[in-house]
Amino acid sequence: MKQAIGKLLWWFEERLELRTSLWTVMRHPIPRDLRTQVGWLYVFGSTAMTLFVLQIVTGIGLGMVYVPSAGEAYESLEHINYNVELGWMLRAIHNWSANGMVVLVVVHMTQVFLMGAYKYPRELTWMVGVVLLLLTVGMAFTGQVLRWDADSYWGLGVGVAMVGRIPWIGPELVELMLGGPSVGSATLSRFFALHVFVIPGLLFSALAVHLYLVVRKGISEPPQPDEPVDPATYEEKYEAKLKTGDPFFPDVFLRDAAFIGLTLLVVVGVSAILGPDGPGIPPDPTLMHVEPVPDWYFLPAFAVLALSPPSLETAIILIAPVIGVGIMLLLPVFSGTGQRSWRRRPVAVLVVIACFLCYGVLWELGVQEPWSPHMTAWSGEPVPPHMLKGLSPKELQGAAVLQQKTCRNCHALDGLGGQRGPDLTDVATRLTRDQLIRQVIQGGGNMPAYGKELNRFEVEALVSFLETCKPKGYAAAESSVVTDRAD
Amino acid sequence: MIEQLFTSRPRRRQKPLCGVWYRLHGWLCVLPLLCCAGCFDSLPGKPTEAERYRRPNTIMDFATLYKTHCSGCHGANGDWGPAPPLNDPMFLAICSDEELKKILTYGRPGTPMPAIAKQHGGALTDAQIDSLIAGIRKTWGKEVTPSDPPIPKYLPPEAAGNVEAGKDLFASHCAGCHGNAGRGGDMAGALNDSGFLGTVSDQLLRRIIITGRPDLGMPNYRDAGSKPLTSEEIADLVALLASWRTADEGLTNETDAARTSE
Repeated sequence: MKQAIGKLLWWFEERLELRTSLWTVMRHPIPRDLRTQVGWLYVFGSTAMTLFVLQIVTGIGLGMVYVPSAGEAYESLEHINYNVELGWMLRAIHNWSANGMVVLVVVHMTQVFLMGAYKYPRELTWMVGVVLLLLTVGMAFTGQVLRWDADSYWGLGVGVAMVGRIPWIGPELVELMLGGPSVGSATLSRFFALHVFVIPGLLFSALAVHLYLVVRKGISEPPQPDEPVDPATYEEKYEAKLKTGDPFFPDVFLRDAAFIGLTLLVVVGVSAILGPDGPGIPPDPTLMHVEPVPDWYFLPAFAVLALSPPSLETAIILIAPVIGVGIMLLLPVFSGTGQRSWRRRPVAVLVVIACFLCYGVLWELGVQEPWSPHMTAWSGEPVPPHMLKGLSPKELQGAAVLQQKTCRNCHALDGLGGQRGPDLTDVATRLTRDQLIRQVIQGGGNMPAYGKELNRFEVEALVSFLETCKPKGYAAAESSVVTDRAD
Repeated sequence: MIEQLFTSRPRRRQKPLCGVWYRLHGWLCVLPLLCCAGCFDSLPGKPTEAERYRRPNTIMDFATLYKTHCSGCHGANGDWGPAPPLNDPMFLAICSDEELKKILTYGRPGTPMPAIAKQHGGALTDAQIDSLIAGIRKTWGKEVTPSDPPIPKYLPPEAAGNVEAGKDLFASHCAGCHGNAGRGGDMAGALNDSGFLGTVSDQLLRRIIITGRPDLGMPNYRDAGSKPLTSEEIADLVALLASWRTADEGLTNETDAARTSE
């Protein structure tokens, strides 16, 4: 039996000659230095690729049920969630492995950048990697559009408005993207084609080039501070290292396999616990209570666009991405040789820290959305009971006026409510009675005037409540100018 | 080479494992999978019907409706809000469903209570308002033990209250906390204040005198004085408070100046 199987395989081998092609690739030597713990930093790329394969597999499953039509997409997603056996799990895995892929691509890129692996002779590998990052982001955005709920509908609107600002060809591009002047029935089929055929096709091609370069140019050895890259001598030194290297399969592959296995377990576990993402509120522009938010990876962009002054918007939308991508693409051209170790590249380390800090801060702002009023806070967020203790009847009425006039939509009490305006929990320590009255009636500093919305009784009640808004033991604000009222 | 791998590669001999584990190791791998397959439906990530999006006008669940539309003023649990408590059995005993529906539909003009019916600028449909009323009764309505004299009626008697009689009643029942002539005392703040009286209706005053504010420690009609207040006496008290409102005292001149200068 064994001999028969062996013969059969040999028949294929004679024709495919995998021994000299695939097997050689599988056995390509990896520098010995990876044997130490540092080798665990080299697993992110292959794991991201595995998640991409998982995306393809789950995506095919979803593609069998999903209907890419504006009228039916939402229902088909609900159908997958509620009626298709384990359909929710398929959606969950597709979603969470997409999230994992974005994370791992960024982690992989950071590792390559910090370890200087993009330097000679692997510049092109890095450049193709940047293209892969952009394609991954493209997959994420088009995938968000296919989820076809209110978030995706309005997110698409933002994306289209950005494209529309491109000089000369903007309007034509928008029409091409949407299949018409506005989001309509043709839009979703276009994004379906992009998400399922065009971008994955490009991703596969770029991935093939990336992998070819990785194998052809070899895995970069962990950098040593005293071994800067010199194109004249690098190849020779690297060849010498490879002579004592370990074959990729099975020695190095096992470490990749272990991390891939762990990642898959995490993806499946998170999917089982947290489930699929949406679909949320239907993509119906007549639903007024929608507060659309993009997927987490786009939150920093959301924050930047919301916070930037109108005069800078076009520059931020059109020029900043070109500069950013340009810098990333051309990075190996500017610093393709020399020191690789992060211990001798403080600027590189600082750049990474600054990038992650900016991303983190903007992300947090995107989560908080302080620029956006919380439209249901006035009727849904109770006044904290401790702020009501010991109040006079008038002050209590003032708190009710504060709620009914929707002040809470922009002003929080005890952190609950909108953040568009300042938290009022301790407003009495900042503003005097006169200032409070003026602020309520005349507005100012981004706040509209409420003079015409309130009668004088309401102003009196409201201000008397606001005067009680200070922590116990704190003095009320005092006017800096004392006027003699007798004058 | 592959042929060699299959035919001539020396195999490591399996070490004999302990009997039970050796025989069962295949099953030990399969069992967790079978367990998982059995409990896929009970995994926490599986979307439930409750998570499915429903249009706001189809939500009938009391807890959600209350949390979204009422808790801002009436408190998270129906009390401890700036507006009078809804979890007050005495209030629910005297206020009929029709009256509640009227308040919810039209609001209380002149007070912070807005109309919440769609046709009057609010957000809720008629059916939702009915569901809200039913929920309030079911959650907080309790059988109130009959008292002698019975609890005064929610709506005022037809005859107008007597301000002079109200003054005496105020002195005996209210001044202890709210101070002489309602100017505020140690226990409770002023009532003779246009900021308060200008933002409450007479009906609300009557309700608060009957039910008190149990959450804030204000006694009801029975416990405020030496003997319970009658329906007419409450009307007298309301008439007194209303007369203070017309006098328009207590409003500071800055507010007036600022408003008239516009």
